[in-house]
Amino acid sequence: MEYWSLNPTSLKVMQQKRNLSQIHTNKTLLNGQLNTPKWWAPTVLILGIAVVIGLSAIGVMVNKGLGVTGLSRPVYWGLFITTFVFWVGISHAGIMISAILRLTQAEWRRPVTRAAELLTVFSLLTALAFPLIHAGRPWRIIYYIIPYDFARGIYPNIRSPLIWDPVAIGTYLTGSTLFLYIALIPDLGNLRDRTTGWQNAFYTILALGWRGNPRQWKMQTVGGILLSALMLPIFVSVHSIVSWDFAIIPSVEGWHSTIFAPYFVIGAVHSGVSAVVTMMALMRWLWKWDDFIRPEHFDALARLLIVVATAWLGFTFLELLFAVYGLDAPELALREMQLFQWPWNFLFIIFMLTAYIIPVTMWLFKKVRTNIALMFWTSILVNIGMWLERFMIIVPGLARKQPFVFTWEAYRPSGLEWLILVWSFAWVTFLMLLFSRFFPLVPLFEQKESQVFTDDVKIGRASVPAIIREID
Amino acid sequence: MIKNPTVEMTDEKHLPQANVPFDQIAKDLVRTTTHGGKTIRRVSIILGVLSIVGIVALIVKLITQRDDSTQWGYVAALVSFLLTVGGGAPMVAIAPVLAKANWVRPITRISAIFSLTGIATLIMTIPLLVVLPPLVVDGTRRRSIWFEGPNFSPHVWDYIGILGLIITGLALFYTAAIPDFAVMRDHTTGWRKRVGRILSRGWIGSNSQWRTLRMRIGMFGTFYFLILIFVHFLFSSDFAMGIVPGWRDAIFPMYHSITSLQGGLAAVIASLWFIRRYFKLEKYIHIDQFWSLSRLLFATTLLWIYFFYSAFIVFWYGRGGADKAWIDLLVRGSKEGIGPMGWVFIFAGIFIFIAPWWWLIWNSVRRSINGPIIAASLILIGIMLDRVRIFVTAWSVPTEHIHDKYLMIIPQTSLPSGLDIMIIIGGICIGLLPILVISRVIPVVSIWEMQQFNLLSKPVKYMKTHGVLVAKPD
Amino acid sequence: MPKQSLLGLFEKADPAADAMDSFNEAGFKLGSFDVLTGTPYPEGAFGEHVPQHRLFRFPAFGAIIGFTLAIFLTAGTQIAYPLVTGGKPILSIFAMLIIMYEMTMLSGVLATVVGIIFESRLPNLDPGVYDKRITEGMIGVVITLDDDSRKKDAEDILKKSGAFEVKYS
Repeated sequence: MEYWSLNPTSLKVMQQKRNLSQIHTNKTLLNGQLNTPKWWAPTVLILGIAVVIGLSAIGVMVNKGLGVTGLSRPVYWGLFITTFVFWVGISHAGIMISAILRLTQAEWRRPVTRAAELLTVFSLLTALAFPLIHAGRPWRIIYYIIPYDFARGIYPNIRSPLIWDPVAIGTYLTGSTLFLYIALIPDLGNLRDRTTGWQNAFYTILALGWRGNPRQWKMQTVGGILLSALMLPIFVSVHSIVSWDFAIIPSVEGWHSTIFAPYFVIGAVHSGVSAVVTMMALMRWLWKWDDFIRPEHFDALARLLIVVATAWLGFTFLELLFAVYGLDAPELALREMQLFQWPWNFLFIIFMLTAYIIPVTMWLFKKVRTNIALMFWTSILVNIGMWLERFMIIVPGLARKQPFVFTWEAYRPSGLEWLILVWSFAWVTFLMLLFSRFFPLVPLFEQKESQVFTDDVKIGRASVPAIIREID
Repeated sequence: MIKNPTVEMTDEKHLPQANVPFDQIAKDLVRTTTHGGKTIRRVSIILGVLSIVGIVALIVKLITQRDDSTQWGYVAALVSFLLTVGGGAPMVAIAPVLAKANWVRPITRISAIFSLTGIATLIMTIPLLVVLPPLVVDGTRRRSIWFEGPNFSPHVWDYIGILGLIITGLALFYTAAIPDFAVMRDHTTGWRKRVGRILSRGWIGSNSQWRTLRMRIGMFGTFYFLILIFVHFLFSSDFAMGIVPGWRDAIFPMYHSITSLQGGLAAVIASLWFIRRYFKLEKYIHIDQFWSLSRLLFATTLLWIYFFYSAFIVFWYGRGGADKAWIDLLVRGSKEGIGPMGWVFIFAGIFIFIAPWWWLIWNSVRRSINGPIIAASLILIGIMLDRVRIFVTAWSVPTEHIHDKYLMIIPQTSLPSGLDIMIIIGGICIGLLPILVISRVIPVVSIWEMQQFNLLSKPVKYMKTHGVLVAKPD
Repeated sequence: MPKQSLLGLFEKADPAADAMDSFNEAGFKLGSFDVLTGTPYPEGAFGEHVPQHRLFRFPAFGAIIGFTLAIFLTAGTQIAYPLVTGGKPILSIFAMLIIMYEMTMLSGVLATVVGIIFESRLPNLDPGVYDKRITEGMIGVVITLDDDSRKKDAEDILKKSGAFEVKYS
């Protein structure tokens, strides 16, 4: 058999910008942990204040009752539930990026995986808070989930989607957190070697005595693939189950649709991957990781997003089409309100423009895809649109609940609700920044592995990037 | 033991795909067009006879049962099956090609050839158009995706859609085949050379020709995908959902499309297995292709259950009249207990999901030659059963109920008549015949893709181990 | 005699692989020498002993346990408090399936994580001889000897292959 000869030590000669020494990689990617950036403390302080304000707002609401919100007959699911669905959607970034791209061996995933998984964990935590806040008396929600009175033998009703939800989200949160930790171990070993004092003790405990022998590396690779394969079905199930909170209810117009599960999942991927783009831009700017988070990563993500967004648009089309397909008068009336009546028509136009038309049109151009500032703003647009999408699904259906309901009151979120919405963003950012102080946001070993496994080969006169694939 | 490459690498499972010189590839693959001349001729004649029997049966059925649309379920199921499997197969190559996967190169030709099954779809759809009720039935407009559209919109547009799909599929097949026709022109004699000369249209392999070729493959591939989804949307909603009162199921078009990918994958795996054995292409169709394809097949089996369950749980939980009617008609096949179509559904579920899922979950099965073919065959049978479940029950609803709010009475399951069986066998033969014929004109494994495969990936020694170095040009 | 470990540090991967080869040729016990790297290399790149593992048993085991527990939980609680809601049967298999599915997957993931840690032989309370520069790109070849008798041989091999430093535990 003919072999190409390949000498690993001479491999990197042809690569210019990609040839980074491991010391340089360590120094740059650990700059958040080893020397705190100047902007870090003030930013965290400001976010901390915002978080405290938000928590106080929640406290006021718990004290005064749900009357301080805009929730009223007949709309009892409003901004909180919308935001819950929104954050569950964002959480789909992590597994999408790190599991699907790992299984398909996409090389460009490497710098993105950890931040995406992290976003999953923190957005899920935030999402979980919203049903609690929404309940008004958060301590009582425990009754839904845990058998609360053994003496009378009353148990949670597992036939209710309100039980499916915490089970699914709990599974996803546990799995994602462990997945994040497993992939963090080699980098914790690295941090242990770079630190002294209490930090060293902290990382030594967390690194579990990592040494980097072939057995441990093999477990990282095989285990990573196995966990990805296990997390993927969970990932799909979570947003499907969230969608069934709505879809299984036949009495609310616009909700009882079979397409909800995949429609929610694809929408979640759309908003989640966009959030990853937003975050990557921020990471590149804040920590100056220009060598690692490069325009080609934005390019690849934008291409993926074009496909995802278009699939999502297809599902949106099917959802609308088959809603009116039945020609039921209440459903038609609801859709007319949603599309043509003020202020829903305005919201709908904004939603369409921000979730699809503006960003996807812009992403068609390579100049935009490789421009980090433009990618940052377009990805934010997508998430404005996707938040509106959830709002447009949840509220109008309730606002026109039944033909004989005596009040068709529109729903206007109160200032307090908006404050709590803002809190959720501050809270996620706060947690991310706190994490970044102690753990690297870009997986160092993946970055180094990419250097071992990639190479340029000469085909004729051309130099072509190539990847070494192991033979199973 | 220390892993010694030269000792342990003898087993085929651990050998990288052989790197074959360019001229050898051309020689080996051109040979396949003449290989097994007599057998293939005999098989073609049998297929031809069965095809004619099928067409005759179709004409007889059209003459005798024109007025009774409830008798046409099996023909609709056949068309759906052909559209699902034959239409989905070209897609198998398109997605990985667009993602620049190298392993897909040996299978692009065989999957594109499946667009020829479109001929069968086109023929078999014609009588369905005759019996499909128009939009206005008994003076009242029925529910459809066409709303206030002209009366025969489904008939016209669905056929145009199917036609468009087939034309795009053939364009994709032909575009990617031009360099190979040039090889046929240069390296064969007689009529094959003449055909090659005409169809290669002066291909000389210049830089600009390759550039246009790549662009066209990307373009037709994308179009094919979009049209495929659209045709599934049209066909599933007009030929199944639209004729059942109260069936409002937004996911059904997607369900139909997903099974199309699954069916296409299964068909490609089955045909790969066959041509590998029959044409002795072990050097070109490696275990890697089966491995990658069966992973995708595994993913689609999971998608099948996901899409089915997404619809099912909504209807099961909703418990409205229309919800219950859906379950009674399409899942249980009866109002009480499990009807005949309920059993068909159960077997479809076993064949499409349970058995292949349990089989393909094992890596040693996926990474083998004979493992995936078993799953693929099961899935093909399962998809046929699933189509029977959907279309036969949908068409069994009498036209007089078409304006009901939902189906109050679950109609009697109609069993296939002799004519139906002849049509189904004939229809599948019409689908297979052009594939067999085209294998005489052009190699079933693309020569130029194979050459590029070997150009871009080679086994490498890496320190003390070895791997495959895959180049990824932009 | 207590066990003793030697660690040779290499700047490049190739000489480290040579050292592994030399240990093998010199008849050192298989599995007594290992390579430490700061990044994964293709399996067998150093001609090392390829570790066997049973990771795939863990998720299967976990899934079975989770599934069984889920059946008991979903069926048990419904039978223990049989309240009909929405006209659905007490044992609503299609609703139970969702909980069963999640619990199966959760238990599978938990078992896999345990499996990864166990099969990585972590936590490792006594990591032995080590050097911080391994996570900066140096390659470490470590050999563990039962006694002092072949210490010199081992050191020679490391040095001859190109180790710029040899450390002892």
